[in-house]
Amino acid sequence: MTTPLKPDQDGMEYELQSPNLSATWHKYYRVFRVSLAERMTYRADFLLGTFLRMLPMVTTILLWQAIYEGSGKDTLAGFKYREMIAYLLLVHISRMFSSMPGLAAGISREIREGTLKKYLIQPLDLLGYLISYRAAHKVTYIVMAALPYGIIFYLCRFYFDGIPSASICAAYLLSLILSFLIGFYFEAAVGMVGFWFLDVTSILYIVITLNYFTSGQMLPIDLLPTFWAGFLKALPFQYMAYFPAVVYLGKVQGNDLIWGLALEAFWALFFAWLARYLYRRGLRHYGAYGG
Amino acid sequence: MQSQSPTHEFFPAPPSQTWKRYPRLLARLGMFTLIRELSLRGNFLVKVAVEVLWLGILLAFYETVFARTSMVASWPKQDYLFFVGCFFAINGVLETLFLENCNEFSNLVRTGDLDFLLLKPIDEQFLITCRRVDWSVSPNIIMGFCVMAVSLWNKGWEFDALRVALFAITFTCGVAIAYSFMLVLTSFSVWLVRNQSLMEMWWLFSSLARYPREIFQRGWANSLDVVFTYILPILLVVNVPSRVMVKTIEPKMVGFIMVVTVASLAASRWFFQRALRSYRSASS
Repeated sequence: MTTPLKPDQDGMEYELQSPNLSATWHKYYRVFRVSLAERMTYRADFLLGTFLRMLPMVTTILLWQAIYEGSGKDTLAGFKYREMIAYLLLVHISRMFSSMPGLAAGISREIREGTLKKYLIQPLDLLGYLISYRAAHKVTYIVMAALPYGIIFYLCRFYFDGIPSASICAAYLLSLILSFLIGFYFEAAVGMVGFWFLDVTSILYIVITLNYFTSGQMLPIDLLPTFWAGFLKALPFQYMAYFPAVVYLGKVQGNDLIWGLALEAFWALFFAWLARYLYRRGLRHYGAYGG
Repeated sequence: MQSQSPTHEFFPAPPSQTWKRYPRLLARLGMFTLIRELSLRGNFLVKVAVEVLWLGILLAFYETVFARTSMVASWPKQDYLFFVGCFFAINGVLETLFLENCNEFSNLVRTGDLDFLLLKPIDEQFLITCRRVDWSVSPNIIMGFCVMAVSLWNKGWEFDALRVALFAITFTCGVAIAYSFMLVLTSFSVWLVRNQSLMEMWWLFSSLARYPREIFQRGWANSLDVVFTYILPILLVVNVPSRVMVKTIEPKMVGFIMVVTVASLAASRWFFQRALRSYRSASS
């Protein structure tokens, strides 16, 4: 049973403990709502930023057009020109779900500055709070980006073969949600390294740079030599960009699709466990300096 | 032995001496930031490693592309790699000398710290855009030149003094034009305060500069070629120096880039000073 203290101005009730699932859910839902309101503060800057971020896509389309013309071939590594452009557009959607800017750096900063202790003295779980916060940011981002992305995808509709079947759409949505979880827990795990190294910025620079290539953001992994393509497909990074895009394009179907989604779910669970494990181990080292 | 009066420093130096002190100041500022960077050597080395990694990824990308085609927009592999190296070197110069300073400008406006810089007896544009040298990205300049050298070697390029001289001139012009663009975008911070999207705009411009003009010379993209070559001439930045080295020399384009350089430097300086006049100190 929760113990109400006093209602605040919004009628919200503080609680000392949250022993049941409903109260826990309610608590993180509040975090979600506050983060949502915070994220809506700079709407105009956000909209302009989203538009500008997509504009380099124009040069990417032109570059790939020149590459296909230069090769004199209709298909490269199983990708027609139209599919290649569709893939590069879909990668933006994948990254919309899986990218977590500032997450690892934020965790390591809280460790370094000692402010992490607020999660230890309050009935609030660090990972629970952060995932609610990130989910709110993602929802805002997706809602706000719907307009600019909608316009861009409408203008580029010729590169797509219409909307895929309901089952593919469901698999695509699931792969995106799992890519969000992989992205979140992977970066949280990197942030937890801060318990031992204090500043993870350097590690993060390298991880982000490598992830850009290994996740298939630059080009489909299939274009790489066979060995490297096989190697990168065995790593979890492909689920942050490549895999959802090829699911949408219908390049992974049947048993391969089920197997792919199962592996993606495995990696999500693995990183969730890893982040939680590092957090628990890290707390034993934590000195709560500063703050 | 002659003793110098301390009051001597309060008298303004003649214009010729004033301009002479800027290279010396830049060297001192560079030395100061280098010492500061080297106090965190581990971090500095990792940042350098990231730049090396990034170049490696870029080269892996083009290796993959050229494994499937022999030509991209009439640029054979070695010529294209020269272009990539040239972009990397120009971008390296811009990031080393100016980018961090321009990024910092909106913070100076928002916090009011710009007041302290404006009070100093030195050119504001110089102090604001050159006060910190980001040494961690400086290896990009060397790496860019290495990529250019290797591609020329693989291409079997024969030394041509005229081409080298023209390359040096147009390379400098390219840096100056890109700097002017950056300065104009930075100046907007005075009115907008938050400049996240303005910096996105800079990345947009730099993403245009990183490709040969030929990829824009088709169908609907022709208008982009015209706009970004003659109106907002960001496409000249890497294209002209690269072409004078590995393609036919086009005297008209060489002359054009020089004119554009002078015009863009003058226009951006005027705009920056116009922006500073609109600055209202934000803090006490």
